[in-house]
Amino acid sequence: METLGYLIDGFGVALAPHNLMFALLGAFLGTLIGALPGLGPANGVAILIPLAFTLGLAPETALIMLTSVYAGAMYGGRISSILLNIPGDEPAMMTCLDGYPMAQQGKAAEALAISAIASFMGSLIATVGLILLAPILADFALTFGPAEYFALFLLAFATLGGITGKNPVKTVVAACLGLMIATMGIDNTGVQRYTFGVLELYEGVDFIIAIVGLFAISELLFFIEEKAGGGKEKMAVNKLSLSWAEIRGIMPSSIRGGVLGFIAGVLPGAGASLGSFIGYTLEKKMVGSKGYFGKGDPRGVAGPEAGNNGASSGALVPMLTLGVPGSGTTAVLLALLISMNITPGPLMFTQNADIVWGVIAALLIGNFLLLVLNIPLVGIFVRLLSVPPKYLLPIVTMIAFVGIYSISNTTFDLYFMVAFGVAGYVLRKLEIPLVPVILGLLLGPEMEKNLRHALDISGGDWSVLWNSGLAIGLWVFAGLGLILPYLVGPLLRRRMKVAAGSGGPEGD
Amino acid sequence: MTFNDRIFGVLLIVLAVAYGWGATQFPEPFGGAEGVGPETFPYLLAVVLGVASLYLIVRPDPDNAWPWSRTGIEMVIAVLVLIVYTALLQPLGFILSTLLAVGTLCWRMGATPIRAYVTGGIAGVVVFVIFNYALHLALPLGLLSFLEVN
Repeated sequence: METLGYLIDGFGVALAPHNLMFALLGAFLGTLIGALPGLGPANGVAILIPLAFTLGLAPETALIMLTSVYAGAMYGGRISSILLNIPGDEPAMMTCLDGYPMAQQGKAAEALAISAIASFMGSLIATVGLILLAPILADFALTFGPAEYFALFLLAFATLGGITGKNPVKTVVAACLGLMIATMGIDNTGVQRYTFGVLELYEGVDFIIAIVGLFAISELLFFIEEKAGGGKEKMAVNKLSLSWAEIRGIMPSSIRGGVLGFIAGVLPGAGASLGSFIGYTLEKKMVGSKGYFGKGDPRGVAGPEAGNNGASSGALVPMLTLGVPGSGTTAVLLALLISMNITPGPLMFTQNADIVWGVIAALLIGNFLLLVLNIPLVGIFVRLLSVPPKYLLPIVTMIAFVGIYSISNTTFDLYFMVAFGVAGYVLRKLEIPLVPVILGLLLGPEMEKNLRHALDISGGDWSVLWNSGLAIGLWVFAGLGLILPYLVGPLLRRRMKVAAGSGGPEGD
Repeated sequence: MTFNDRIFGVLLIVLAVAYGWGATQFPEPFGGAEGVGPETFPYLLAVVLGVASLYLIVRPDPDNAWPWSRTGIEMVIAVLVLIVYTALLQPLGFILSTLLAVGTLCWRMGATPIRAYVTGGIAGVVVFVIFNYALHLALPLGLLSFLEVN
């Protein structure tokens, strides 16, 4: 019942006119970001952070806007899957399988509408799940001591690659690089570390600069390399004719997909890609021979789309309750929280209840906004698909420059961002994932603080780190997170490949 | 070919050693040394990174091809454009430097020069107007500062 009271307060925050306006703006921008070629959700949210920052938005407003962007990007990603057979992001891969055949049969509008409704159902189920689960998890997390937190951070890194990840050692390398960058600057005992006497480094490396550089600039370089400057041809979308019977027909698929997606999103190491994959395969099994999956079955669009959106809302649970994000985009949202001086984690539910519940309520409202935006306005978003990247990416890069410049009005930060961009490109070429680097940057200070705290209490005895049952459990799961990809990863990857035909771009 | 991971692994080991050595050079914190000091966490990281990079050297993944020749030059040009953009942002002002930078990038990515620089100019002016008048964030005017109305 307590939850309900908080939620009502949350609606009070979310329904404030300016918050509602920014939620609408975020939902629109998010769908746009999801639909535009070469702008993934993590990338898009990263570019918008400095803007939210310099606009001087209140923390809850900024977070409401950016979670709406996040939710919107998941809607937008499906458009190119259905119309062009090109997944806008990795989780949208499974939507291609039946969405594209539907579009080829002249039912593009129906496929888009069905996927919007399924996305809506998926997000709705997962948001309700979030409301029920988050307070419980936050209460539980209050029992964590420094040793447990240290183990939890390790778990986050170990599972970040996901059980479908390729090479867990590269995740470890990436995490180390991020943590190392995080140690630069003056530590909390006042000792200068790795500053090389450069004044700008005394405060450490601003992770927003690193994030924008790693994502936005490296993306530009990738597009240049692939010479993918030309736009796609214009797409015609037929007039929508969807009956209630058809909507009812996809409801069971959407609900199943949403529940599965939510579970996949909450669990560390699963992520939205796996959510949509499971959503699709289960749907195929449930419907059996009555379906015509792979040939334009609407249920094959609804299942994975609901799973995808369910997982993306589910991924907010560990981010909000434990301060440990499970995906690239939630890591970027965490960056926003930290830079707004809000310590994520269980205490946030009591200390910043208005923000947490405002955001949760905004997710519910944003979901309705997105459904309303996406069915009638889909024509606008479809037209965006044909914006040629050769114009789009330079402009996006410029906006990234403006955003970073406006934080401190110095060009030092911009050089730093370009350096991070080149480094990001090299790392991606070496198949070193970028998300652990960013997570290392974000969690580094907290992780070190907890380690030192734990060791200070025990007087330098390292065994304190695995002294409680909870800590041991976390260590075991972290170990599994690194070992499982070797055992089941190749198998799962092969299945996903066989199902989808080809791999998708990085990140969810 | 598995050169990438091996070379990268060697570089990482060098980094790990240098980083670990750097941690031994920290001055003693105020109030004397304790069991855990500012160097503890860096030591840990140096060891983990060292072990992980040894693994990369021993069991490298297959290489991704690097873009040599023309594409490589295009990418170097793009990075140079970004650096020059940063350097010119304050002296030339936002609008002019954006015209040059976005225009050059569009052009190198395959747009015709005229369209490319027109895009750059429009983007520069639009973003400048939005930032300066709607969002009240001052971007440098540079050479165009004579246009400023007070």
